[in-house]
Amino acid sequence: MPTTVTSVTSPLHLPRAHAPARREQAFSFLWFACALMAVVTVGFILASLVIEGLPAFNDTGVLRFVLGDTWNPTFDPPSYGILPLLVGTLLVTLGAMAISVPLSLGAAIYLAELAPARVREVVRPAVELLAGIPSVVYGFFGLVVLVEWLRVTLSVPSGESVLAGSILLGIMSLPTILSVSEDALFAVGRDLREGSLALGATRWQTISQVVVPAALPGISAAVILGMGRAIGETMAVLMVTGNAAVIPEPLFNILSPVRTLTGTLGIEMGEVAIGSPHYHALFAVATVLLAVTLVVNLGATALLSRLNAAAAGRSMSSTPGRLVASLFSTRVLLGLAAGIVALVAGSTWGLIPALGVLSVSAVLSVATGRLSRRQSEAIAFALFRVAVVVVLLVLALILFDIVSKGLPAISWEFLAGTPKDLGRGGGIFPAIFGTLCLVAGSIAFALPIGVGAAIHLVEYRSEGRVTRAIRSGVDLLNGTPSIVFGLFGFSFLVLHLNLGVSMLAGQLTLGLMVLPTIIRTAEEALRNVPQSLREGSLALGATRWQTISRVVLPTAAAGIVTGTILSIGRAAGETAPILFTAVVFSQRQLPGSLFEPVMALPYHLFVLSTTVPGSDLNRYGTALVLILVVCGIYAVAIAVRNRFSTTMRL
Amino acid sequence: MTPSDSDSTGAVLETDGLDLWYGSQQALRSVTFAVPALQVTALIGPSGCGKSTLLRCFNRMNDLVEGCRVEGRIEYRGDEIHRPGFDVVDLRRRIGMVFQKPNPFPMSIYDNVAYGPRVHGETDRDRLNECVERSLRQAALWDEVQDRLGDSALGLSGGQQQRLCIARTLAVEPDVILMDEPCSALDPIATAKIEDLIDALKQRYTVIIVTHNMQQAARVSDWTGFMYLGRLVEFGRTSQVFEAPHEELTERYITGRFG
Ligand SMILES: Nc1ncnc2c1ncn2[C@@H]1O[C@H](COP(=O)(O)OP(=O)(O)O)[C@@H](O)[C@H]1O
Ligand SMILES: [Mg+2]
Repeated sequence: MPTTVTSVTSPLHLPRAHAPARREQAFSFLWFACALMAVVTVGFILASLVIEGLPAFNDTGVLRFVLGDTWNPTFDPPSYGILPLLVGTLLVTLGAMAISVPLSLGAAIYLAELAPARVREVVRPAVELLAGIPSVVYGFFGLVVLVEWLRVTLSVPSGESVLAGSILLGIMSLPTILSVSEDALFAVGRDLREGSLALGATRWQTISQVVVPAALPGISAAVILGMGRAIGETMAVLMVTGNAAVIPEPLFNILSPVRTLTGTLGIEMGEVAIGSPHYHALFAVATVLLAVTLVVNLGATALLSRLNAAAAGRSMSSTPGRLVASLFSTRVLLGLAAGIVALVAGSTWGLIPALGVLSVSAVLSVATGRLSRRQSEAIAFALFRVAVVVVLLVLALILFDIVSKGLPAISWEFLAGTPKDLGRGGGIFPAIFGTLCLVAGSIAFALPIGVGAAIHLVEYRSEGRVTRAIRSGVDLLNGTPSIVFGLFGFSFLVLHLNLGVSMLAGQLTLGLMVLPTIIRTAEEALRNVPQSLREGSLALGATRWQTISRVVLPTAAAGIVTGTILSIGRAAGETAPILFTAVVFSQRQLPGSLFEPVMALPYHLFVLSTTVPGSDLNRYGTALVLILVVCGIYAVAIAVRNRFSTTMRL
Repeated sequence: MTPSDSDSTGAVLETDGLDLWYGSQQALRSVTFAVPALQVTALIGPSGCGKSTLLRCFNRMNDLVEGCRVEGRIEYRGDEIHRPGFDVVDLRRRIGMVFQKPNPFPMSIYDNVAYGPRVHGETDRDRLNECVERSLRQAALWDEVQDRLGDSALGLSGGQQQRLCIARTLAVEPDVILMDEPCSALDPIATAKIEDLIDALKQRYTVIIVTHNMQQAARVSDWTGFMYLGRLVEFGRTSQVFEAPHEELTERYITGRFG
């Protein structure tokens, strides 16, 4: 035996310098604290809503508050019944679903099952772009184009209606439903498809009888998530629904104006006397709104977790499965398409053509009973292609309108100048500056905390009660409507912490809003780091924190960066959270400190388009700049993701 | 079962009545044996018998597995590794591990090898360079990569990646090297290279290698342990285990009359 043996007591020549256990503990505690922030925030939000809302529930009585049919807080005596608001929210949401569910499912099936790779490469970014357009831009487009078009074609006094709100929200919830259900369809195993095709089923039979039923839980969750998005949306709805707190007569009168829960908060919160009964009533409205979205989101979460549980052994003959399979028969699809065409025809040209369309389609759908398998496949696939074309047309329409009318406004003076004549002239530099400041601050606040929380959840996982509480907290935050963050920011940051309406309050509110996005994307990125890398590092005697900081985080960097950039885009486009916490409409000088209010692009666009007549050019210019800012940010995110996903594949 | 041969420097690792559970499923049943120093010890047995589990006990890698519970003693050079206050990080630096699937970090070849010394506080460039070169030479990889040390390690072939992982382990100058089926993902040529390497390593290191390839165990090891259903059925000199096994179970496995 050679005697070059290293000595028994100390076989190592390397300096002994690894981090002491105390430092490791400090880090682990730090990440835990970050994760706890999420839960604490939820606690604060709930507490502040309930505490501020309680007097209203007490004075009016919960039942009379929820079921009272008159909302008239400025009347004498005031009356606080939110039934019209609930009905308004419900009608607009249902209408939105009626429009976006068939469109997005059709497009999703096309993309997941039929589309050639080249088409997919065009449609995917288009859908992401649709998701990236800020809601105030949708509202602006709805107000100047959609509402106007409805008023003229239907020859009604005003186009601000349930219909306008439904169409707009339908478009806005489309990307969510489309992408989540496309993922669900994609997740259906090849073996199922091949099994069905090998039995001699057509592609359409395979899709309708096997793939769609198998993806059903995911599709349902997609619809519910889209619904949650529609319910929580504030700015766009507020700008096109007319905001009359009435219950439509009759209920299905889609041309009646309505007012939603979120709209009420957006309109009245800015003008209410702090501490008055009306003020408390608004917090009670927010409490109800949060409860509704909570229920909806819990439903989606439950469905998605059932999807994962059922993925192993799913029974295809389950009742909902069969129900959906029958829903996707060509006949029903045709009927649905005919119904929508009839609706559009009816509202555009009147009753007679609508009846005509309906009867033709009835004949057609009876005839489908005699169609061959090939023919019904052709019809179904044609309908899916139409759905994709409609989605692309909508995007093209919005972009074309805003770009073509906004470009003439863009000039050096517009970008670098200050507003004149209530924003009708001059530039929007302070708004650009304010938006950039708000975004930078919110990310500086949310990024470290979000990544820290994700590190705790993934790297120090001990699936105990605390972790589960944190996870639910993140879920809850994620489903909270942005206007609720706005209310919380106002009552807690602006009033209670005495920050005043200030840049800082806006940054914190926006930061809280994007926190769940950052946590989730960072979590996913960390989870994608193979466990073998962690083991490889630990096996070399690296400490946990060394492993995380030198191997795990660099490997996950691309995912974290993508999530962060998406959050930046979202923060840049949001209006509702900063409405009462940070913004002013006009400002002579740039803010000198964090404690002064700022101007912001989305708010500027909102005020210009709702209260400043004769500012058309600058409205379009502002909308274009806002879209460019947000979409520019998203483009960077997509580029980063594509770049890294090709070079970092392990 | 401590080896009594006079040329051995004694036991580096010893287990005594080692039981291990994954949740409620028991994966190791009262395993008792001692690993001789500066020798190659092979663990063989049908898949699922607990070879990897036993190996991962020695550097406490099973700590990372949720619901894993260990009873019994494991001593590293006379020190019980489960005692309170035991420094696991230091243990892992002394007991290196090469995994079944090569797991190079997504960084350059150089940084992969330098990773270990760096996390242990080495910052001197010259010493790092010297250490990287020495480790790569020991792992018989230097000639193939010396002109592209800055390239990503992910661009290497499977066999090169595995030798890189071995170099990475050697760079922290461990006392013991654990290898979990290091050749199972490799072609025969790469496998032969790694087997030669193992032979050279025992000059300076104690090696424990898991393999389900009996020829490999016979070729590279001095000692062999045969495991079955979580038990260490037989442990002894490789020549003895393969030529004159004491247990009938071992004989049936070795001769391929199994199951
Ligand atoms: N992380 C784990 N969680 C639960 N059971 C495990 C885990 N790893 C291994 N096992 C189980 O322990 C037993 C031994 O596994 P292993 O040590 O990997 O066997 P071998 O390496 O000999 O093939 C097997 O029954 C395996 O299913
Ligand atoms: Mg194994």
